[in-house]
Amino acid sequence: MIAILDYNAGNTASVANALCRLGVPHQITADPEAVARADKIIFPGVGAAGAAMKELKKRGLDRALKHARQPVLGICLGLQLLAEWSEEDDVKCLGIISGRVKRFSDDLKAPQIGWNRVGKDYFYFVHSYYLPVGPYTVGAATYGVPFSAVVRKDNFYATQFHPEKSGKAGLKILRNFCRS
Amino acid sequence: MKIIPAIDILGGKVVRLRQGDYAAKTVYSADAVKLARQFEAEGADRLHIVDLDGAKAGKPVNCELILRIRKSVFIPIQVGGGIRTVQAAKKYLKAGIDRVILGTAAIPIIRKLGAERVMAGLDLRGNKVATHGWTKTTTDYPDFARKLRALGVTEVICTDIARDGMLSQPNITPMLKLKKMGFRVIASGGVSDVTSLKKLRISGMSGAIIGKAIYEKKITVREALSAVRPASGLAKRIIPCMDIKNGRVVKGVGFKRLLDAGDPVAFGRYYSDQGADELVFLDITATVEKRKTLAELVRRVAREINIPFCVGGGIRSLADIKVLLKAGADKVSIGSAAVYDPAFVTQAARRFGSQCIVISVDPKRVGDRWLIYTRGGRTQTKIDAIAFAEEMERRGAGELLVNSLDRDGTKKGYDLELLRAIASRVRIPVIASSGAGKQKDFLEAITLGRADGVLAASLFHYGKVKISDLKRYLKSHSITIRP
Repeated sequence: MIAILDYNAGNTASVANALCRLGVPHQITADPEAVARADKIIFPGVGAAGAAMKELKKRGLDRALKHARQPVLGICLGLQLLAEWSEEDDVKCLGIISGRVKRFSDDLKAPQIGWNRVGKDYFYFVHSYYLPVGPYTVGAATYGVPFSAVVRKDNFYATQFHPEKSGKAGLKILRNFCRS
Repeated sequence: MKIIPAIDILGGKVVRLRQGDYAAKTVYSADAVKLARQFEAEGADRLHIVDLDGAKAGKPVNCELILRIRKSVFIPIQVGGGIRTVQAAKKYLKAGIDRVILGTAAIPIIRKLGAERVMAGLDLRGNKVATHGWTKTTTDYPDFARKLRALGVTEVICTDIARDGMLSQPNITPMLKLKKMGFRVIASGGVSDVTSLKKLRISGMSGAIIGKAIYEKKITVREALSAVRPASGLAKRIIPCMDIKNGRVVKGVGFKRLLDAGDPVAFGRYYSDQGADELVFLDITATVEKRKTLAELVRRVAREINIPFCVGGGIRSLADIKVLLKAGADKVSIGSAAVYDPAFVTQAARRFGSQCIVISVDPKRVGDRWLIYTRGGRTQTKIDAIAFAEEMERRGAGELLVNSLDRDGTKKGYDLELLRAIASRVRIPVIASSGAGKQKDFLEAITLGRADGVLAASLFHYGKVKISDLKRYLKSHSITIRP
C-alpha cells in the first residue's frame, strides 16, 4: 500500500489518479501511523514552502518523513521540502537532503511553467524556486541555471517536475517507483 | 537583462554624439521610424529614445516624431530629453510612452506625478550628476539617488558621460553602487561588445542601452540578445482547445456558429497521444446546470489524461475555482469576471496559487489601440488591453491567454503585434490564441509574437494541422519543442 501524504498542499488527487491508471493500491492520508505502516510514501506538494512546513508539523508528518525507512517519492514542493532551507518564506525545511532552495532570477519568465528536458526526456514543471545541483542530484534541467530535476538519497527520491502530469515519461517514473 | 537600442534625435534625424558634445555628432539615418521598426523586428526588448534638441532647449522638441515611432512599434518605449514639466511628462505618458526619463527636473516632477512610470536618468561626470543637456554638473550621485529612492523611484539609467559614444567599456562601479541601493539599473555609455554585455549581466544590471556600437555595426541587436539570453531548456507549448457545450466538444468558428462533435476525453487522449503539451476545455454552455456537468467532465478527464489541462468558461467565484481544481483541473481560465472584478484575481491567486490562474484576455483593435471585450466577444469595454494585461500580472495571474477577436476564426494568423505588445511587458507566460491557419502562423506567434505557447482549436479538430507534424516543423526551425 502506498501512502500519499495529505497536508493541505494540493494535488493529492492528481497523484491518486495516476496511481489508479497504473493499478497501484494507495491511500491518501494525514495519519503519521498509517504513513509509518505504508510500503512506500509519496510526498506531493503544490504551494508555498512556509505554509506547507507548518501543515506538516501540525500533523506530525515532518517527523514521519524524517524517520521513514521505506522508499519515499517527493514531488515538486515535495522535493524542495527535503532540503535544509527554502528562500521561499525563509523557512527551515526537513533537512533530509543538503542544500538551500533558491528563487529563479528575474532573467526569465516566472514561474517556470511547461516542459523542460531532463536527460533525453521532457517533463512538466511548474515552480518559481529550485534546488541547485548538488551531491544528491541524479537529473538536472536548465532554466537560466542548472537545477535539480531529480534527487536521490538513500530511500528518498524526489522530482521537481510532476510525473503524474508528464505523459508517458512521467508515468514511467511513477511505475518504476511503485513497482521497484 | 533587457537589450535596449538607443535612438537619439537631433533635427529630426538619428544621430550619435560623443560624450554629449553636440558638435561631435554623426548622422546615421533620416528615418527614425524605420529604424525603430528594424530594432523591434530584431527582437529588442525596449527602445530608448532621446530628444537631443529637447535636452538642449529644456523642453520637448521632437515630440511629434517620437509619437509617430510610438504608433509604429509595439514594444515598450522609454523617452528622455528636455522633459522638465509635469505637463510634458503627462503628454508622453498619455500618448502611450511607457516610461519618461527624467534628469534635471526629476525631483520636482516626481513629487507631483509619482514615481510609477518614471525612470531617473543619472548622467555622471565622475561622481557628479550632469543636467541641462549635460551642460551643468551638480550634486554627488549617491545623494541624488537617495532622494530618488525616498520618492519611490525603482528604476534608474546610469550613464557615464565620458564613455558615451566612445565604444569603450561601461563604467560599472557606480552601477553596482546604485544596484546596492536597491534600484533596478539600466546601464548606458560604453556598451560596445559581447564582453561588456556579459559583464553587465553577471553584475545583475536589469538592462543595457546600446547606441554607437549598433550604428557603427560593431554589434547587432540579435547578437546582443544572443549574448545575454539565459540558457533554458523550457519548450514552447502546443495547446489544443476544445469548446464544450453540455459536456460535449463542439467545433467553433468565431464565438458564434457551432457544430456538435464528441467526447472530451476521447479528444483529450487523441491529442495527448499526438504530443499536445496541455489541453484547454472552454465551457460555452449558458445554463446554471453547467457547473455540475463541467466538474463531472473535469473528473473524467483528470482520471484518464496524464498531461496538464486548464478549464474555463463562466468562472466567477472562488467556489467555482475550488470545485474545478478539486475535481482535478490543473488550472482555471478566468475571462469576464477578471474584467468586472479585478480584485477577484488577486483573491484567487492568493487562495489557490498563481500557477493555476490563467486570465483570458479578449482584445479587439479599436483605432490605434486594443480594447477588452467580454461575454464571449459581444460586449466592448473602455479598458485598454495592454494595460489590462499588465494589471492582471500585478494581481497575481500565472499566465495570460490572448484571444484576438479580430483574428478569431479567420485563419489569417495570430495578431503578432498584440502578442508582442503584451509579451514584451509582462514576465508571466503568454499563450497565443485565435487566428491559426497554417503551420507558419504558429512559428510566427513564437518568434515574432514572442509567445510562450500557442493554442488552436478548429485547425486541429478538422485535421488541417496535425500536432505531430507541427512539432516537427517547429523543431526544424530551431524552436525548443518537446517531441
